[in-house]
Amino acid sequence: MSLSDYLVTDDLTVILALAAAGLFLLHNLYKPQSLVHPILLGRQSDAARVRHPGESAVFRNYGTGMMGRFPVRPAKEQQVLLDLIRPDQDSPRTLWKTKLTNPELRRRVSALGTGLIKVAGLVPEDSNVLLLLNDGLEFIIADLALASHAIPSFTLTSMSLLSTVLENHPPSAIITEAEFLPQLLELIYDSHESSHHTIIVVGEPAAKYNQGLNQIRVIKFAELERQGAQVEPVASVPTDPLQIFTVSFYQTPTGQLRGAQFTHESITAGVTAIRSLMPSSGPLSSLDTIVSAHSLSSAYGRAVAYTALFEGANFATLSSSKLVGTENGLPLDLADTKSTEVYPIPSTTLLFVTPSHLTALATAINDKARNSSFLSYSLAWRHKLSGVLEGFFTKQSLWDRLVFDGARVEVMGKGAGTVRSVIVSGGAIENQALTPARVALSVPILIVHSHPQVSGPVLATHAFDVQSFPNETASPGTSAADNYAFSYLSAVGAPSINLEAKLIAVDDASIEAGEDPVGRLMVRGPSVGVLLDAESKEGELEKGWFETGEKAKVLPNGTFKVVPLST
Amino acid sequence: MSFDLGLPVNTALLLYVMYCIQRIVWPSASAPKTVPNEFKSSYTWMPKGHPPTLLFKTYTPKTLSPFNGQNGQRILLAIKGIVYDVTAGRNFYGPGGMYANFAGRDASRGMAKQSFEEDMLTPIDQPLDKLEDLTGEEIDNMRGWMDHFSNKYIVCGRLVENDAT
Repeated sequence: MSLSDYLVTDDLTVILALAAAGLFLLHNLYKPQSLVHPILLGRQSDAARVRHPGESAVFRNYGTGMMGRFPVRPAKEQQVLLDLIRPDQDSPRTLWKTKLTNPELRRRVSALGTGLIKVAGLVPEDSNVLLLLNDGLEFIIADLALASHAIPSFTLTSMSLLSTVLENHPPSAIITEAEFLPQLLELIYDSHESSHHTIIVVGEPAAKYNQGLNQIRVIKFAELERQGAQVEPVASVPTDPLQIFTVSFYQTPTGQLRGAQFTHESITAGVTAIRSLMPSSGPLSSLDTIVSAHSLSSAYGRAVAYTALFEGANFATLSSSKLVGTENGLPLDLADTKSTEVYPIPSTTLLFVTPSHLTALATAINDKARNSSFLSYSLAWRHKLSGVLEGFFTKQSLWDRLVFDGARVEVMGKGAGTVRSVIVSGGAIENQALTPARVALSVPILIVHSHPQVSGPVLATHAFDVQSFPNETASPGTSAADNYAFSYLSAVGAPSINLEAKLIAVDDASIEAGEDPVGRLMVRGPSVGVLLDAESKEGELEKGWFETGEKAKVLPNGTFKVVPLST
Repeated sequence: MSFDLGLPVNTALLLYVMYCIQRIVWPSASAPKTVPNEFKSSYTWMPKGHPPTLLFKTYTPKTLSPFNGQNGQRILLAIKGIVYDVTAGRNFYGPGGMYANFAGRDASRGMAKQSFEEDMLTPIDQPLDKLEDLTGEEIDNMRGWMDHFSNKYIVCGRLVENDAT
């Protein structure tokens, strides 16, 4: 048979040829486009051209660049903490249980400030106040009132630090919850404090404490506000943004007590950094409802709260962030993520949560979707996974409508439709856990590394980065903990926009040979707090570098991998 | 109209159509086992290496002098104890360039007096030029050059005496 006998065509050929051409075009051109071009993900931080022996190069965010200045405030007007409550923005928003406008909030702050100075007898710049409160509007009002009158405030990241702090840094007054008052009084008596204490109580204390006890005065918070509103307001001291207004006490993994002193500028710098986490296509705005799992007593939690306050967004915290009145921490799980449903706030749009919350959400959604229909779930999973591998994800695809939306509504309630981004910090995430979370939630998930000494994020990933790296092979010389971290944990991104990071105690020979630098992480920037009682101000400390105490590695694309502290 | 699937051309086209449909309905979801080094190959990629960084070193006049651009070496020059890497300015400071005299040497006096003559340089085995006899204007000129070099080139070391360790 000759060639022409093989090439006999008929009408079916024409039909099939058209179908083949159409499918070819569909298959090759209808590929989803990645949300961020991969070339940008190959150079996420700007590295200095010179490095000193024993150190790595200094790394900065690629957007800031080595020559750029660090932004320290969202806008020129935000010099001190109270400026973050913009007076010109007067639409109401809900903070925890209360709906109020910015001018109302400022009035309450001014009333409390007047009450604190005139009734409770605090002296600006002289008295110290310990804030032992759970997250709530009273915390914010107290914090702003103290900051605007230059009265330093103390916060604790954990109740176990209370006795040490009372001993070493006795405050002039303590603001606390009514439920905790009996234990606090006991603690003060036990330590035989001879100095006077004023205790300001939020809520209704038991009647027997109303008159105070011996030298301890007990005043009600609401009473202070009321009396402060009635008298002539005390003008707030024009405060310098570089003045320290708060100290956050935390414990290092070795058990050492550390105090991080923050100035007004550190918090505004932290707010600027958190605002820059969101992509320019979806910035924070007053329409958002931000829910945070991080307590206001920690620096990062405070910066998140003030970001929400600055933007005019609604804000609430999860019940696991409670500090006072809980024996052990509450579990960070699915029920916790829905704990803000008791508040009259609109449905959540931004979740600032921990890795446990994220994995709980992702597992629940995937399990519900799988149980509803295994076949369509496998098909949907396959399609979504292939999209993620191309760098693309969306909540509006066919597979979401068919399979995942139902599961999301069951797990997250109204949040299924409104949550538009999840920012994860406060722990380590494994690489393997990320892809299921990305498919299940299909919203930008940012991984942020935070530290109690730094008011904003230290390191953060790009909002649209969904690169999924396989687990690396373990290198022989490193310890087991480091190997686990560097192989299994995901990268945490590049330094935030107003921070620079470097590694010290690195192996020069291996870096010159082209290996990734591995060493101890040091950071410097306006959002890094100043250490309280630093023993010596020499060496790196003098140039402003702070050692975080964590081991880290820099990958060739400029992202960092951090070995988490062992707490 | 004739429809004959048995024809070879039709069978081939049918197979291709089935293959396309299968790839669309059940897409590939496998990532390459090793992470590629090019962004064109895959969305998930990692560059081969870090951007180059120079190590900040301490030089003496003797150790600095080989770095004059010959034999493929970098070009370094020093002003007031700070060593700059001027390899990017090979046209000026490399072999045969206008200011090639300064390559690998302490150029402080020459920068101050705005001269590229040989007598501005001190020999390598002698102590560093103390620059005591310079006028204020010349020192300002030298500092201007130091600013220019800091912005245009990389500060990569410092220059100390020959016998200092």
